[in-house]
Amino acid sequence: MSDLKTIVKEKLAGGADAFLCLKNEEGTVLPALITDADSPDLEFVDVGESRYPLGRILIDLQREYPDKRFAVLVRGCDERALIELSKLEQIDLDRLVMVGVACSTEEAEACGCPRPYPGDIALGEKVEAAPGREVIDEVESLGDAERLGWWKEQFSRCIKCYGCRNICPMCFCKDCALENPHLVEPGVIPPDFPSFHIIRALDMTGRCIDCGLCEEACPADIPLRSLYRKMQDIMEDKLEYRAGGSVEEKNPLSFLGTEHDIEKLEQE
Amino acid sequence: MADKKQSKKAGSEAAEIRKPVGAVMVVGGGVGGIQASLELANMGYKVYLADSSPSVGGVMGMLDKTFPTNECSMCILSPKMVEVASNINIEVITLADVLSVEGEVGDMRVKLRIRPRYVDIGKCTGCGDCTAKCPVKIPDPYNAGLDTTRCIRVPFPQAVPGAAVIDPEVCRWLTKEKCGNCVKVCQAGAVDFDQKEREETFQVGMVIAAPGYRPFDAGRKTEYGYGVNQNVVTSLEFERILGANGPTQGHVVRPSDGEEVKKLAFVQCVGSRDTTVGNGYCSSVCCMYATKQALIAKEHLPGIEPTIFFIDMRAYGKDFEKYYTAAESRHGVRYVRGLISGIRERQRTKNLLLRYADEAGCTQEEEFDLVVLSIGLEAPCGLKEGLGLEVNEYGFAEADPFLPVLSSRPGVLVCGAAQEPRDIPDTVTQATAAAGIASQALHGARNTLLTRREHPPEKDVGGEEPRVGAIICRCGSNIGGFVDVPAVVEYAKELPGVVWAEERLYACSQDAQDWIRQVVEENGLNRLVVASCTPRTHQPLFRETLQSAGVNKYLFEMANIREHCSWVHMQEPENATRKAQYLVKMAVEKARRLEPLVEGESGVIPRGLVIGGGVAGMNAALNLAASGFQVYLVEKEDELGGLARNIHFNLKGEDVQAYVKELADRVEREELITAFTAHEIVDVGGFVGQFKTLIRDAEGRETLLEHGAVIVATGGGQYQPTEYLRGEDGRVLTQWELEKRIAEKDPALADVERVVMIQCVGSREEERPYCSKVCCTEAAKNALALKELSPRTEVFVLYRDVRTYGFREDIYREAREAGVVFSRFDDDVRPDVRDVAGTLQVRVPDANLAGEMVVLNTDLVVLSTGITANPDNAALAPMLKVPRNAEGFFLEAHMKLRPVDFATDGVFVCGLAHAPKSIEESVSQAAAAAARAESILSKDKIVTEGVVAVVDADKCSGCGICLQLCPFEAVTYDEEKKVAVVNTSLCKGCGTCTAACTAGASRLQGFRSDQIFEQIEAAASAWRE
Amino acid sequence: MAEESKKNDEEDIRILAFLCNWCSYAGADLAGVSRFQYPPNVLDVRVMCTGTISPYFVIKAFQEGMDGVLIAGCHIGDCHYLKGNYMTAKRFQVLREALKFLGLEEGRLRLEWVSAAEGEKYADVIRSFTEEVKALGPSPLRGKKAAKAEVGA
Repeated sequence: MSDLKTIVKEKLAGGADAFLCLKNEEGTVLPALITDADSPDLEFVDVGESRYPLGRILIDLQREYPDKRFAVLVRGCDERALIELSKLEQIDLDRLVMVGVACSTEEAEACGCPRPYPGDIALGEKVEAAPGREVIDEVESLGDAERLGWWKEQFSRCIKCYGCRNICPMCFCKDCALENPHLVEPGVIPPDFPSFHIIRALDMTGRCIDCGLCEEACPADIPLRSLYRKMQDIMEDKLEYRAGGSVEEKNPLSFLGTEHDIEKLEQE
Repeated sequence: MADKKQSKKAGSEAAEIRKPVGAVMVVGGGVGGIQASLELANMGYKVYLADSSPSVGGVMGMLDKTFPTNECSMCILSPKMVEVASNINIEVITLADVLSVEGEVGDMRVKLRIRPRYVDIGKCTGCGDCTAKCPVKIPDPYNAGLDTTRCIRVPFPQAVPGAAVIDPEVCRWLTKEKCGNCVKVCQAGAVDFDQKEREETFQVGMVIAAPGYRPFDAGRKTEYGYGVNQNVVTSLEFERILGANGPTQGHVVRPSDGEEVKKLAFVQCVGSRDTTVGNGYCSSVCCMYATKQALIAKEHLPGIEPTIFFIDMRAYGKDFEKYYTAAESRHGVRYVRGLISGIRERQRTKNLLLRYADEAGCTQEEEFDLVVLSIGLEAPCGLKEGLGLEVNEYGFAEADPFLPVLSSRPGVLVCGAAQEPRDIPDTVTQATAAAGIASQALHGARNTLLTRREHPPEKDVGGEEPRVGAIICRCGSNIGGFVDVPAVVEYAKELPGVVWAEERLYACSQDAQDWIRQVVEENGLNRLVVASCTPRTHQPLFRETLQSAGVNKYLFEMANIREHCSWVHMQEPENATRKAQYLVKMAVEKARRLEPLVEGESGVIPRGLVIGGGVAGMNAALNLAASGFQVYLVEKEDELGGLARNIHFNLKGEDVQAYVKELADRVEREELITAFTAHEIVDVGGFVGQFKTLIRDAEGRETLLEHGAVIVATGGGQYQPTEYLRGEDGRVLTQWELEKRIAEKDPALADVERVVMIQCVGSREEERPYCSKVCCTEAAKNALALKELSPRTEVFVLYRDVRTYGFREDIYREAREAGVVFSRFDDDVRPDVRDVAGTLQVRVPDANLAGEMVVLNTDLVVLSTGITANPDNAALAPMLKVPRNAEGFFLEAHMKLRPVDFATDGVFVCGLAHAPKSIEESVSQAAAAAARAESILSKDKIVTEGVVAVVDADKCSGCGICLQLCPFEAVTYDEEKKVAVVNTSLCKGCGTCTAACTAGASRLQGFRSDQIFEQIEAAASAWRE
Repeated sequence: MAEESKKNDEEDIRILAFLCNWCSYAGADLAGVSRFQYPPNVLDVRVMCTGTISPYFVIKAFQEGMDGVLIAGCHIGDCHYLKGNYMTAKRFQVLREALKFLGLEEGRLRLEWVSAAEGEKYADVIRSFTEEVKALGPSPLRGKKAAKAEVGA
């Protein structure tokens, strides 16, 4: 796509030391880090349909090259991830140039993203999409026992591949609670119900930016995205916070707050 | 002033002549005495803490809640009491009265008369077996006589010492040589009827008197019918009724019929501001405690309608005004201005008819279910006789006008309500100040009389398999009577890791400690579990024993099978036994994972930094210097003195300017103080013990100061009014301007025919919703001075509430007697000041005359302008990592018990930087802040608890959440490694940060998640057995 | 002992209580000193502050088959560490809703503020919580590990 190529060149000329995006080499989509305008990779840069948590690479890149400025291609979800990661001291937004891509109508509908476009759009047209609530509604229509049974059935398919965690743009812990033998018994498949999945859901609360990569990655088709989406609803409802919004907003689980905040919370 | 010189002399010359005695006698075990004792022990002195009752705790121990935070009183006091009990350098002497005090500063002899307890404190475990068998019922003093206890009893659950006491007046054995049940039932053999009253003399360097107060005897106000009308109670009795641990478990019911109260009345000023009973002073605390009690009653019984009948609402302290206004506007407490002239009881319903004169002067009558008499505070006994102090006309200890902890007698310091009615924080402040002043005289003997526990070197158990020993305590019959102790022992023996288990009659007895040491050594134990009572009181003892056996004290765990088991499942011995076993299993499983913890140490630079060179700052610096410490004093202005330079004389007519000048001279002369005037603080780094502060002068030259503690004394400002024609008309002055003219004996004042003073200018308003505390007294003082200077001058004071608390009430009364007219206006109106054809005119609706408009043509209008926060605080707060309140004053760590501390260790506050207050209060606070700083500076190193958070740098991703979750600023960020780092010198071990770490990189030592997971697994697996 | 306990397995409700050292543990102590009787089916874990209670602890307790989990700490404003319980209050909101969404009955998790002076309240809380959990019956997550061999037990 010539547009992206031009932009990459522009950014490299305009102060970015490298541009991180995806390339499509004969159908194989891979991340590409382009450091100069003569790079052969430039020919293959592609917005494409594929998605990849580039933020995970950026964390390492920024740590390794603290003096360099990076430009990165972002969709709406990528931008939300980078914003949230910056609050968690993993990404330095000051050393980052985001080049926004709006997802196409088909992409947006297929994905079910709450905001399929970034703040500044360099490529594509902004379209709105409605995030699916079918699974949440279905679960909420059930009584306690049925709910538990429903989830148990879903989670019983889990083969503990950790795909959901490994693809997650928001996961960066060096030691993962999912591998803590006190919480999740090693060598048991499916993993302990419900601790394995609720631990991940809790860790995602106030952090998940609803990209849906986890569900895409799950070989067992567990409706993970709905679970985490519900956690964000809870977070917004109870603590008035949704991950990936503005840089200024702070996650209430990450600061103490005032007595007034708590009194308000308790009165609800 | 004479006293101060004496104490200074005591601090230097006396110390040189002969080494003083490094011990202090603290008289009175209320919150003041407790505070003074803990401070002194912490500063390196041996302490004798004598109390006339059988337990320390005082009145605070009886309170349900404390104002203005409604915090649970016992929750905050009992940790301090436990600290007193476990500190080997504080010897608590109960049932003791002072007979005499002799000697000089540094070398004093205090003779005590010690009444017999008839119970051996060393043997009694507080189990309560004796109480259960005692046939003699007595009114329970702890519950203000509202219910009964037995003649032999532990005074109250949290009592220190936690031993039983016998009331000799009613004991059957002591009166008739009958009964003796307690002797029979006590398996510890603690009851000792052979104890005799004895006298003992203690050699100390100083005496601190903190005997508290006597509650006013409500029966003296016969018109209220206390003691006759069943539903008239005193505020202290009502406090117990509100107490969740009181006779009605906090249910607000009437004594007559146990019915819930609907209409509740509080009668203020019972025994206060009342010359008919000889108490001309204000008791200072009643307005706020009545407000608190009304609020708590409302909390317990939302339908209750509380009414407070008062004269002036004295909400003068920090955050009091907000508390009062919220009570009235948000929580439905009704405030009625009017003095109750009589209370009549209705015969059938036992309801009460209150008669009072309303604001219009008409007599009103209203019916209530329960009436609380807000009784005042009277002087305690023994100030004059025992302690040999001079007392004022009300019987309170005479004190230095600038530093009220100095009594009339060198060597005896006085703090708390014994000197003047005061609340808890002021008492704590004074107690801390007294400890500091004592240390000034005794610092030559610091650490000389301290007992230090010597322990054998710790065995390295690092590579060893856990070898757990388990002791199951019978606690006489307290555990043994309900739990099958042998079955628990057998169960414990089978648990993994347990190599030894036995039972013991009393695991906490002195001989048991020797036995524990022996079994630890004989069996090569490297972990110990004691299943007995609560770790909150007994863990320190067992840890100590373990340490004395050469095992790290953190390799210890308790199972609480008494309070949490045998005592609460008395009817189900089988279930209680099973639960005890499970609790032991949980403790053992945790114990197996315990690791030895090292208590952290960090060095201390023995120098202080005082920020601000006003009265508070200069005093703080001088106090620290008097204890032998170097001090840096940084003042932004060119000269020292601060706001006090505007005040010329105080209540007692003392020359404030001379005082300020003398302070500045002393600072200049004091070699240990380096004063940096015209310097500002640029940056503060480091932490407790090791601060680095950068200061800069006007030319931009920077100096780096290294010090161990910081005292913030940045002072305040004066509200600059633009209202009331201020700035437009030269006849509109401020109180300070008037005071200057009075002090200078301005001849023009003699011609002034009329002066109108306006109160609350800039205070108690929307923008500054606080009381400035000093203006009412200032106005009364200046009005009186004006009257003295020119008796024919008419003086009007327009006020909202006259807040002349404590002995300041005297000057208010004197002013009225001298003809000063006090005229009240309502909160929602303001006087109107205007120039009518050259005549200055004030118009105000007089609230005491049913709102009738009063028009006063006047020569002068004097504005009582409020105190404002120093705007510099905003820049300083983030540097010091300390908070400010909404009004810009600094916010202390704890309103009640840590009034001069910040949550950030090593940083203290005093004076107007904290809140508006009088000079003598600033001086007391400065002495307290200096004492708190001394408790750090006097140490070679700061030793920290082993229970602290640590971050495993290998697992930390540097997300920074834990940094923001630390209330103590103990977590910092290593920018290079991008990881969080805990400063163990600052960490208090709450673990709030650890719970947020999803990676498990941040861990609370001694409460690691894996240890807690094991406890959970143990509980679950035990249940599954 | 094992035989006895098994017979009323259905009746036996298992509650785990996390108590903060300064207020609620002290409140439980006071309940003991005051001899307020309450059901024996609660085992407690002492922590320094409720702020240290990770949601993982609660998950672990349910995973291990607890029928109810109680968290008790200082009243807001009374925290010995100033603000530790603020986090407890916030985390609890999230945790409770999460468990609800998964289908674990809401009544199985409770947060209470119990001061050092509220011995009776502590006993009341245990009584009422036991009743509530008893009405819900044994946890649907119970029994998962029952078959697992216990080391040394």
